[in-house]
Order: sequence, then structure tokens, then C-alpha cells
Amino acid sequence: MFDFKVLLESIIDIATVVPKTLALAIFILLLSLLMGAVIALIQQYKVPLLSQIIKVLQSFLRGTPNVVLLFLMYYALPEILTFFTGILGIEFDANSLNPIVTVILTFSISYSVFQSEIIRGSILSIEKGQIEAAQSLGFSFWQTFRRVIIPQALVAAFPDIINSLMVVIKALSLAYLITVVDILGQAKMVGALSYRYLEAFIGAALIYWLIGAVLTFISNRFELKLRRGFH
Amino acid sequence: MVEIFPKLISTLPITLSIILTSAILGLILSIIITALRIKKIKFLSPILEAYISFMRSIPILLLLFIVYYGLPVFFSLLNMNMNDLSAIVSAMITLIIFNGAYLSEILRPAYLAVEKGQHEAADSLGYTPFAKFKKIIIPQMTPIALPGLGNAVIYLIHDTSLVFTIGIVDIMGKANLIMASSYGENKVEVFLTIALIYWGVCLLSDRFIKLCENHTYLRKIENKRTFSSKTSQLSHKFNKRNIKSNLD
Repeated sequence: MFDFKVLLESIIDIATVVPKTLALAIFILLLSLLMGAVIALIQQYKVPLLSQIIKVLQSFLRGTPNVVLLFLMYYALPEILTFFTGILGIEFDANSLNPIVTVILTFSISYSVFQSEIIRGSILSIEKGQIEAAQSLGFSFWQTFRRVIIPQALVAAFPDIINSLMVVIKALSLAYLITVVDILGQAKMVGALSYRYLEAFIGAALIYWLIGAVLTFISNRFELKLRRGFH
Repeated sequence: MVEIFPKLISTLPITLSIILTSAILGLILSIIITALRIKKIKFLSPILEAYISFMRSIPILLLLFIVYYGLPVFFSLLNMNMNDLSAIVSAMITLIIFNGAYLSEILRPAYLAVEKGQHEAADSLGYTPFAKFKKIIIPQMTPIALPGLGNAVIYLIHDTSLVFTIGIVDIMGKANLIMASSYGENKVEVFLTIALIYWGVCLLSDRFIKLCENHTYLRKIENKRTFSSKTSQLSHKFNKRNIKSNLD
């Protein structure tokens, strides 16, 4: 029933898409951090209208499963794009949009509101005295930001960022539903070729477990190192 | 959108039954696991740690597939025929073992956050272990654990949206059926409706958790404090105004 040789072969087959999945996850993470920083700024300065919109969006994204969002974007994005390109008069066939773009956009948007919380929390965790000390030493705003705030905020946010990388990698398993092949999609294809789904899925689970263990190790190791570096 | 809504909402009982069963049984499983992890039994605790880290690092969709394809194989090794195990049962089993691990990661810190002195005080007052647990430990654990549990419920609701991948006709399954019967028209409306339904369910569960939070002892103390501090603030303001008016 259960063949270890098949398991080994399918692990090797599945491992070929691990770099692609990791690259996609890191790209999504960076994009969502960027958007999260913008959202955090908007909320910090309480920009009228925008901050209210973001509040509703936050509640919506918290309440809607990723699958639903993914399908919604998959079907709605071409129509939205045709609408805008129609207004601007640009020749663009939105139906030929690569599903990878949809995946990247959906997950970046849906995780940006969570990243904004991480960023806000990490910046708020810096003591006011640090900023005052920098100002009294004659640092300019950008110098304070780059040399005092960022290094400390990064240390505070590091475990959370690694954790959200793991969350994004896990969420990417949904991408196979719209034909983007990641670890789970590859496992499904390998299983379909040999009719041995169970071995393929267990192989994928072992790979995910390994990635999770490595990320936890990195998080623990570098957190200690970063802490030591700045205190 | 109005036409689709009743069709989609008619499948909500299936989703809700999966959510309720796996929430309750998952909580029971997580309590057992947390108790075993805190007791630190020699050979069991490394196994439990491995189980927790495994559950934390694999996506729920993959676990769903593994249980769905793996359970019949597992039972056939025990010479039991379980080939006609329904998809709903395997979805429930998946969510129970997933939540058992996830909730135990919330309950364990909450238990450890209760100070040691509280245990000692209860012991010195002659509480039985059960009475100690019920009257001292649980009331202090709940305010710490409740926000995490609320998040867990939201994630559970999100995770149930995946069960359509193993052939259960829940809201998403129904959506696929509707789209197939209308030749793929109005897909956007269908998924927008589903998103709104899930949003509503999540808002309701958020309300419920808030309601629970208002009944914990910590919140009661807090309310008293804020009330008294508010009154003191008011009186303070009043005094200030009086002083000012005197100065004028």
C-alpha cells in the first residue's frame, strides 16, 4: 500500500519547485511589507477618508478566507483591468493575464493589513528616549529614521516577519487552484502521474516541515544575534 | 446577487456543523495535549512537540488531502474496511487534529502565565486539585487565552472554506455548481456574495468572543477601575474649572 521508494522519488520531484515557491513567497512578503508600511503611515497620521477605508478593508480581509479572495481576484481582475485600459485607451488583452500576477496581488493585499500591524507594533515598541537622544545629538529626521528607528524596529519585528513568511508559504498552497504550481500543486501533479497520491502528499508535507523547521531555527538564531548587536 | 444568495446560504448548515464539531472536539483534544505537555512525560513529550511543529508548518489543505487519502490506507493496515468514509468525516478529523495543535499553543502560554504563587496559595488553603483548577486557574487563564481563541475561531471558519476541494458541497462547492449550471457567467458576483457571507459569519463570531471577554473577571475589575477613574477624572476637571473660575 505504502511504498517508500515512491515517496523518495516524489520528494525529489517535488523539491524542484521549492526555489520557485520560496522566491514567490519572499516577493509577496516584501510587497506586502511595503504596502503594510504605507498603511501603517496612513493610520499613524490618521489621513481622513483613507484611514476609514483601510479600517473597513481590514475587517473585510480578516473576515474573508484566502480561497474566496483568490477566486474573486482571479475572475474580477481581468474585468477591472479591461475597464481601466478601456478608459486610458491602451491595447491590452486582460484575459491573457498570468495567474502568477493574480496570486502575487491577492496575497500581497490580503497580508498587507497584517504586516501593517507588525510594523506599527515594532515602531511603537521603540522608546521615546531613543528618538529624543538622537535629536539632541543633532541627527536629522532621516538619520534618526535610518540609524536609530530602523535597526531597533527590525529586531523587534524579525520573529514576526519570519512567521509571516511561513504563513505566506502555507497560503501559497492555494495557488494550485488557479493553475500556479507550487509545492502542493507539484505534489498533486506527481501523484496524478503515478496514481500514488498519498506518497506524494506525505513527501510534500515532509518538505513543508523541513522549511518550517529551518525558518524557526533562523528566527531563533538571528534574533539572538541581532539582540546582541544592538544592546 | 439576490438570486444567488438564498442558494448559497442554504449550504451554511453544513459549514456550521463542521465548524461547531471541530471547534468543540478540537478544544477537548487541545486541553488533553496541553495537560500532557505541561506534565512533561518522558517519552510522550518529544512526540507531542514533533506533532505540534508538524501541524504548524504544513498547510491545512495538504493535511486535508493526507487525511482524505490516507485514512482508508491506515485503517486497512489495521484490517478494517473504511473505504466508504465520507468526506465530511475526514474534513472534521483534519480540522480537529489541526486545531488540537493550534489551540494547545494558545492554552499552554495562558496556563504558564498564571503565577506559581497562585498554585501555592491554593494548595496551602487546602483546595483539592479539581477545585483549584476550577476556581483559581481557569478564571485567570480565560482572559489571557480568549483573544487567541477568538483568532483561532476566525481561522477555523476560514479553513472550512477549503473542504470543497475533497468534494463536500459547502458554500464554495455550491458556487462551483452554480457557475457550472450558468456556463461560467457572473462568477464575480458569486464570489463577492460568498465573501460577504464569510465576513458576516466572522463578524458574528467576533461579537460572541467580545461578549465572552466582557464576562471574565479581569474585565469586570477593569470596568470598575475605568468607572472609578472616570469619576475621579470628572471630579478633577470639575475642581480645575472651579479653581480657574476662582482665579478669574
